[in-house]
Amino acid sequence: MALFQVSGLKSYAELREQILPARQTHLFDRTNHYNFGTKTQEFAVPLGVDPSGFLGTCSRDGGVSIDLNHGTTTLAFKFRHGVIVAVDSRASAGRYLASNDVNKVIEINPYLLGTMSGSAADCQYWERLLAKECRLYRLRSNHRISVADASKLLCNMMLGYRGMGLSMGSMICGWDKEGPGLYYVDDRGTRLSGRMFSTGCGSSYAYGVVDSGYREDMAVEEAYELGRRGIAHATHRDAYSGGAVNMYHMQQDGWIKVCKDDVSELIHRYRKGMF
Amino acid sequence: VLIRPASSQESVLQPPCGPAGLPPAASQTVPLPFPMSHGTTTLAFLFQGGVLAAADTRSSCSGLVACPASQKIRPIHSHLVGTTSGTSADCALWKRILSRELRLYQLRHGRRLSTSGAGGGASADLGGTSGGLQKASPSSSGPGLWYVCSDGTRLRGSLFSVGSGSPYAYSILDQGVRWGLTVEEATSVAREAVYRAAHRDAWSGNCVDVYHVTSKGWTRRKREDLKEEYYREKGRQGR
Repeated sequence: MALFQVSGLKSYAELREQILPARQTHLFDRTNHYNFGTKTQEFAVPLGVDPSGFLGTCSRDGGVSIDLNHGTTTLAFKFRHGVIVAVDSRASAGRYLASNDVNKVIEINPYLLGTMSGSAADCQYWERLLAKECRLYRLRSNHRISVADASKLLCNMMLGYRGMGLSMGSMICGWDKEGPGLYYVDDRGTRLSGRMFSTGCGSSYAYGVVDSGYREDMAVEEAYELGRRGIAHATHRDAYSGGAVNMYHMQQDGWIKVCKDDVSELIHRYRKGMF
Repeated sequence: VLIRPASSQESVLQPPCGPAGLPPAASQTVPLPFPMSHGTTTLAFLFQGGVLAAADTRSSCSGLVACPASQKIRPIHSHLVGTTSGTSADCALWKRILSRELRLYQLRHGRRLSTSGAGGGASADLGGTSGGLQKASPSSSGPGLWYVCSDGTRLRGSLFSVGSGSPYAYSILDQGVRWGLTVEEATSVAREAVYRAAHRDAWSGNCVDVYHVTSKGWTRRKREDLKEEYYREKGRQGR
């Protein structure tokens, strides 16, 4: 880069080569271990470690047991006025309730959102990496990345590590030139575009509610209420979902955070009149 | 309780043989000979007008729809219906045994056994089966609903849904069921719940059966094909 030459600064890789003149430095370049090279496929896997084998030993009964938490309910649907994203806020580790106040929506940038379900660590890491790549794309090509491309980047990251124990079910939502966009991406590399998705172990409860109340031409307030109801009813029946409903609305000029409603209050409101 | 417990030596049925060819002790669980694949959506709830029970009609065997028109809600007697989920064979057998025992009780005592008694009898009888039964009836003490399972669980409640499609149905029922519903409203909530479950769950579908049980007995609604409901909704949405 021009600035580098002018200022006399050496890049990290150059410095490294001076210190460790080994041939394999490209494998240890940790600042940018994943650079989407189409000519050279790179994986940041420590040499000599087999991740899927290691994880297998961690899930043995009676031995070390790392419970990858899948407990959550997230939902998102497209309608005429944008995309509604609603998530619960409970993090469980097996039977232990780690937190009731987790944010499962990552604000990638003002016009892209990603939801998280599955392993919290995996979701946070890979979605933050996606945020970095989206920013680099914007700087390099001088226009915003589309939702389809952003979800494709995440999908390719997942495919590179397929079978190695990642656990992530995410929905990438945004508004680009094509209009509102919603993609579901998971740790197996599945990437689907759709009108409505719900992930997590509480998703089946949410599907029933949202299917029954959905109309493409809903008013904005109706859509908010549908998202709230979907999460609230799911948290009511699913033990691993709970806390509060965090809801975002993706509009043409970016997303807004709609509300953060406690589910116990919501469910009391909805079930008034039940025995 | 006059219903014979499964461990009784006078039981008409031969106890099932375990893998060693010897009859197992009453407390041992018999391992299933092959993994049984089944899915369904059944539901029942109490309201001011009695008890409403609804179920889909698909019998599946892994990926095959073995029967698209099965009957998952079977009347046991004029005031008692049971829903079935799990292995169809087991459910059909135990239902008939239960009907027989209840009829014998009625003949001996001149009155019908209450739902809780029938539930107790059923759970004592369900030995090595897999599946859940719900029994709904208004007895002399008012409407009653029991969930009975092959592992011996017996729960009394006011709303249950059983089967692979039950999560989808539960959220609809949670939204819509209140004590003060009219019969039409209750039927519509039950149909909607089965329809949504049938839409999302691969192992539920085809048609929906709705039974309504009151103090005068049970009535059955005409079986409806959910395909019609799907196209009607599609037309409404204008998709």
